[in-house]
Amino acid sequence: MAELTYTRVFDAPRELVFRCMLEPEHLTHFWGPAGTSTPLDGITVDPRPGGVFETVMISDADGCSYTTRAVYTEIVPPERIVWTEPGTGMITTSTFTDLGGTRTEVRIHQANVSDSFRSPENQARFLTSLDRFAAYLETLVS
Amino acid sequence: MTVVDDRLDATFAALADPTRRAILAHLATGDATVNELAEPFDMTLPGISKHLKVLEQCGLISRTRRAQFRPCHLERERLDAAADWIETNRRIWAQRFDKLEAHLRDIQDTGHG
Repeated sequence: MAELTYTRVFDAPRELVFRCMLEPEHLTHFWGPAGTSTPLDGITVDPRPGGVFETVMISDADGCSYTTRAVYTEIVPPERIVWTEPGTGMITTSTFTDLGGTRTEVRIHQANVSDSFRSPENQARFLTSLDRFAAYLETLVS
Repeated sequence: MTVVDDRLDATFAALADPTRRAILAHLATGDATVNELAEPFDMTLPGISKHLKVLEQCGLISRTRRAQFRPCHLERERLDAAADWIETNRRIWAQRFDKLEAHLRDIQDTGHG
């Protein structure tokens, strides 16, 4: 099964970054990628194992909405959040590492990636080249 | 639909192996025979053939039937479908992180200012 990992370092204390990933009042500010918004009333967070994590992203261009349904399987403040998407089987683990000072590393790890081809929001395709493929190839591990 | 999904699943499974990725990288520079592909690896011809079979089955490469040495050819469409998914997913997280960065700056400014 393929896996993907994304890492970013933020200039903010770990507790605050952790809360941003878990509280709708924060999620609404950043969850939707560029060209979309995620209104507060479209975010459901029940922060406990078995609890629902649902987001509705709305496209700025055409108003189309994309709902992502997930279920939390593990929440360990302020270190780790794990959710699974029942529709695709994809497991996403967010790990928060205190780098000292006020710097925090967030590591997003996704497993069962190949199954998520089935999710409708991922059906959108871009024309791409082999060059582009090579750049992201190393993110694939067995 | 299911047939397409299954092929994409097979593509990702095929890409998960470093030897097969190296074979694809070689084929990106042009068609090659099994012997040519085996050269950089400390591997027997049957070992390489096994990898080529996996790549052929999911449509990542094709082999001519008529030519004597049956050169392998990279099927870019299949590769692009997998690359597209990875790229879409990567962009979503990159943009999400950009926005989170800005949000954290905003709330810390108001919080401490």
